Amino acid sequence: MKNNGNMSVLLKGILKENPVLVLILGTCPTLATTNNVAGAFGMGIAAMAVLVCSNMLISLLRKIIPDSVRIPCYIVIIAGFVTIVQMIVQAYFPALYEMLGVYLALITVNCIILGRAEMFASKNSVGKSVLDGLGMGLGFTIALCAMAFIREVFGNASFAGIAIPFLEPYKIAFLVKAPGGMLVYGLLIALVYVITQGKAPVKTEFSCAGCPSAGSCQTGACQKKGGEQ
Amino acid sequence: MKKYVKSTLVLVCICATISLMLAATNAITAPIIEKNQNAAANAALLEVMPDGKDFEEIDITSFTLPATVTEAYKEAGGGHVIKLATTGYSSGLVIMCGVNADGTVSGTVCLASGETLGHEKTYGENFTGKNVSEVEAVDTISGATKTTAAYRGAVKDAINAATILGGGSVDIRSDEEILADNLAAALPAGEGKFTKQFITEVIEGIDAVYRAENGKGAVCVIGEQFIGVDASGVVVSDVDAGLADQISAQMEILNASVETELDLSAYTGLHTSLVSAAKTATGNYVLDMKGAGYGINGGDEYHPASGEYIYIRVSMTKDGKIIDCLTVSQAETDNIGSACADEAFYGQFVGKTEADYDAIDGISGATITTNGYKKAILRAFESVKILEGGAGNEE
Amino acid sequence: MEMFKTLIIILLSSVLVNNYVLSRFLGICPFLGVSKKINQAVGMGISVTAVMLLATAVTWPIQYLLLDKLGLGYMQTIIFILVIATLVQILELLLKRFSPTLHKGLGVYLPLITTNCAVLGVAINNINDGYNFLESMVSSLGCGLGFLLAMVLFSGLRSRIDESRVPKPFRGLAVTLIAASFISLAFMGFAGVVDALFA
Repeated sequence: MKNNGNMSVLLKGILKENPVLVLILGTCPTLATTNNVAGAFGMGIAAMAVLVCSNMLISLLRKIIPDSVRIPCYIVIIAGFVTIVQMIVQAYFPALYEMLGVYLALITVNCIILGRAEMFASKNSVGKSVLDGLGMGLGFTIALCAMAFIREVFGNASFAGIAIPFLEPYKIAFLVKAPGGMLVYGLLIALVYVITQGKAPVKTEFSCAGCPSAGSCQTGACQKKGGEQ
Repeated sequence: MKKYVKSTLVLVCICATISLMLAATNAITAPIIEKNQNAAANAALLEVMPDGKDFEEIDITSFTLPATVTEAYKEAGGGHVIKLATTGYSSGLVIMCGVNADGTVSGTVCLASGETLGHEKTYGENFTGKNVSEVEAVDTISGATKTTAAYRGAVKDAINAATILGGGSVDIRSDEEILADNLAAALPAGEGKFTKQFITEVIEGIDAVYRAENGKGAVCVIGEQFIGVDASGVVVSDVDAGLADQISAQMEILNASVETELDLSAYTGLHTSLVSAAKTATGNYVLDMKGAGYGINGGDEYHPASGEYIYIRVSMTKDGKIIDCLTVSQAETDNIGSACADEAFYGQFVGKTEADYDAIDGISGATITTNGYKKAILRAFESVKILEGGAGNEE
Repeated sequence: MEMFKTLIIILLSSVLVNNYVLSRFLGICPFLGVSKKINQAVGMGISVTAVMLLATAVTWPIQYLLLDKLGLGYMQTIIFILVIATLVQILELLLKRFSPTLHKGLGVYLPLITTNCAVLGVAINNINDGYNFLESMVSSLGCGLGFLLAMVLFSGLRSRIDESRVPKPFRGLAVTLIAASFISLAFMGFAGVVDALFA
């Protein structure tokens, strides 16, 4: 965030600070909705919409919201946008709504969104916050789709629900199941490390940096649990 | 203090604003969501009744409907859509059937099936536009007789259910239930438990005899008539005296029938198909035959041969006319050759002689079973000739 | 008896078959973050179970007695997350006041639980699955215990990983996730077991 070109604010989310593969945020939806490309894309877009809206509103209100109640305020704003997105998806994309199920509501507790609100939107201008939301959302969507592509194509021999017949005999059904998700995620993290050759701020452990609750953490729990012990 | 008030105020304001936004979005999306959900629920209904509108579910518990009916919907134009669950080759054949106000089928679709053959997908198209009697005339598919017969039965049930729901009345009993009801009505002393008697004597004018399992008499079937007879042969049903006397006389012959087991080793030239034979006091023969059907002569990778013969009991006059015929046991392929155990098949041999027995209808899709069965019947004719002192046919 | 059977099935399937962490991917962050030491894992697991039970005990009546009655079903997410956040705060204050020892042991994990999707997930799922109050509580208990079980198992595995030499690109989270994948694979073996128990 040092070289504050608007472009770099937008682009950093895609690879350098990719929320999923580098910052390791929002792991739950990453694993749960990536067994099919359509679902992953839908989840990515839904999260991006919430992220942009909440970033914008929080940045607008950043001078009004008192510090002591900011986390509850953020949560209410985010939950509100999530519900709006939920209703819109249910109304206009019922098939996607069926596919995502409870994970749509759980965007509320997606660490990416609260994390960006806390770390970026509460400190930056509206324009930059929107760009940050877009970039992070895009990075999230791309990472989700990449993972879903691997899992669906090789695990289910299909792409976005359309069967790929010649892969049928070779499919590795394990990939679309829960363990396959974790395995692919682990491999992708390693791959991104190789691509960036360790130059990206690779997070090897959870720490306060990525923890959305860091601000409200009077107890210092994060330091204790995340720091070197 | 002022800080707390401000914090609380801001939080409350944000909550209120967000709630308002939600309410507004909800006001826009709620009708669409409801429409979507209705459309999804009605999609299956529209498939079987494309012109239907304003479907409304009916509480079926207040009607006496065929047991297969699970759900029913009424449509604005007076039609009904009936959902049925029945058992074909295996349980779980779920069918949705639309019935127009005039009692014809508007469409059927198979929602789920545990069936092995694929016919249930397209078979439903045969019923479109047909009324109840035309539905009965739709052929079953050979090789999937049981599935398609269950399908046809369900469509018939659907039309009957629609008639009942529309205020009409229909006899929804199955053939077995009708028979049981008739038997019980003709001889109440039988307490509703009857078995069909294997006839070994020549009796005139009576189509079938059902014995009460408690020994309290029998019911004679003559055409559509069910006539009760008590254990001593006296007619208890209300029939004219001449018929009553005739039936009593015939029942006396039947009741007096005594069989003597024959020693087959005393005869030469008997075929091994003949398992055992008995002769009645009046000179008729009762033969137990075994036929080599699919269980012996068939078998492929899908339908392995069971290694079991078909066991057949035949009663025959000494001059070679079949009095009665019954499949005692069989292990032919389920739903194909196993039809040889149905009365519809073996009942055809009654009254036949060696000259015309071969002309009966075979079992569709089960040539080996049919041929094995007919061969066993032919051996029965030959056996009777030998037992009567003549010579059997040369092979 | 029938009810007892249902409750046992709900409990066992939420602990073993539909384990929130290993097959539904809820609560992955703390699962990966706080499972380095076994005592941390136990502390986090117990805290999550307690909050899940409390949250269900509060959200279930809210949903059925308030939101459904008023036709405010769409406020579910927002109300539930606020309830959970408030509960966590109250629980922390109470622990601090009345049981400093317990607070020292478990209190540190509480702030992290607000954003633990397993808690919100279990509250919403109980409603979606149409469970009655008792079933909801049992399901919450099962999910909490399942989370605890996964945490404890995994912390054991991780202490082994820390001692081994891992190729550089895999160091840290990559190898942790792959190890988690194997635990999850082992839990797949429970599928079908619970239903078969009473079949």
